Amino acid sequence: MSGNLIGDNMHQQKINALITYLLEGNNQQAVASAKELHNEGITKEQIITQSLEETMIQLGAKCTVEQFNLLEIMLAGRAVMAVMKCLYPDGTFPEKTKETVVVAALEGDVHDLGKNILKMVLMAKGYRVVDCGKDCPIQRLVDTAKEQSPFVIGISGLISSIIPLVKKVRGALNSQGLDHIKVMAGGAALKQSLKEQLNVDYIAESAFDGVHYIEKMRLINE
Amino acid sequence: MNSLERVIATVNFKAPDRVPVIAQVFGHAAVFSGVPLDTYLQDGEILARCQLQALDKYGYDAVFTVVDVNIETEALGSIIDYRKNQYAVIKKYALSDDYDIDQLSVPDCKKAGRMPEILKALSILKKALNDEVLIVGCVLGPLTLTTQLLGMEKALYLAIDEPERFEKLLDFSCKVLIQFGLAQISAGAHVPIVFDPSASPAVVPYQFFREFEAPRLKKIFQSFKTNGAIANWLHIAGPSDKILPYYSDIGVDIANFDYCVNAQVAMSTLPHTCLDGNIKPLAFVENNENDIMSASEQLLNMFSKRGGFILSSGCEIPPESKPQNIAAMVKSTRFN
Repeated sequence: MSGNLIGDNMHQQKINALITYLLEGNNQQAVASAKELHNEGITKEQIITQSLEETMIQLGAKCTVEQFNLLEIMLAGRAVMAVMKCLYPDGTFPEKTKETVVVAALEGDVHDLGKNILKMVLMAKGYRVVDCGKDCPIQRLVDTAKEQSPFVIGISGLISSIIPLVKKVRGALNSQGLDHIKVMAGGAALKQSLKEQLNVDYIAESAFDGVHYIEKMRLINE
Repeated sequence: MNSLERVIATVNFKAPDRVPVIAQVFGHAAVFSGVPLDTYLQDGEILARCQLQALDKYGYDAVFTVVDVNIETEALGSIIDYRKNQYAVIKKYALSDDYDIDQLSVPDCKKAGRMPEILKALSILKKALNDEVLIVGCVLGPLTLTTQLLGMEKALYLAIDEPERFEKLLDFSCKVLIQFGLAQISAGAHVPIVFDPSASPAVVPYQFFREFEAPRLKKIFQSFKTNGAIANWLHIAGPSDKILPYYSDIGVDIANFDYCVNAQVAMSTLPHTCLDGNIKPLAFVENNENDIMSASEQLLNMFSKRGGFILSSGCEIPPESKPQNIAAMVKSTRFN
């Protein structure tokens, strides 16, 4: 009994260390630490929920709108992805995930950093993310939504010229009977606008703000 | 006062006859003249003609040869995708993973990519406007050029994983930018504005800016000033509050501040630096003349005692902006 307690305590310390490595963006140490935990009998799912998700919660709390640090998130995200790849080397991520989110940067916009950050954070939090990539035509986005049944679509936009396209997404989804899917927009150009102007359900100030909205919608759906 | 005299007086905190107004009209000049944006981006003669037509219509105080952020990287080998009526984008970055920094050479501005077109546009503008209106060329900041050579994610990871290699690349970028900026001054630019979106605190922490970017910007600005630039203008969009304190030491004479930066904060952080800003760019598309007039008047009132202010947008006025909104911003300076 006491041995178990000591063992659990040791594992907790190692999980805390893994969280620190992830937050620091130290991907090599993070991978080594995750491997060690797994070798000691901690399941992949436990590593994800207890360390990866916790990392994203702590990072989200740090990264308020005023103190948003993209580089820090990128580094932590890269470390999280490295751990995921180490746990699931063939790329088949855990089957038991939260709902599906589709992300895209629309046709004409080749800036995908914001979208990639959102994707990393969502994956680390256990969502299934389908990435339509950058420069994505609306039709491909709608087709993907039909096939993958997401509950939210996240559109990232750095340039104002894609605004007319963003405005069309809601109508294109509704015409296919996909009215129930929430549309969220974010990125330097889109966040200057209003959700009514863009015809979307939410405008995210940052990747974490977007994740908070998605979490909120998930709770409402439950 | 003519426009150039007005801007120079303002930069030096002397009283101009009215507050200068500089609309950051780049691609909008093409839309306004009915020229496809992709043509405008590639032809210096057309660029200059569109800028002159827009100047004639709106009557603001500066013209620009800013096209997109790919001029330097294209000259260094990036493959650019030109799409009808859109800004150009990078199809393939100039540097692959195994690039050899020692093999890179500074491009010849008279031959490489679209650099000669930019120089041509500046010469035409200089001939047409002489020293009546401020002629603004453009180079990227070293960090932005580095991200345009490698891709944003790769460049930032390089900074963390191999800082020495990253700094070497920044130094190389610096050389390219100084040479291109000096060529622009020779061709007719009064100021090569330094555009550095990747150095925004929206992308990298302010400490990163202080350590990596600020010393190199200082070097670039010193070189421009020594070689005839009438002022040093730094343009970093987004929430720049935390990097503004470094601007004075860098040698910035005109600091652009975006719509998300509080004007009072910018004023108190940079009491002796001319500021330009900061109407929300998208407002020129989505709002109306009254809104723009009201935002302009608010800014003019805030800066009325301080001086050292150029009325402008926080960043580029989008190509698809309503002309009456740009006209309203210009008009507001005539009433004050």
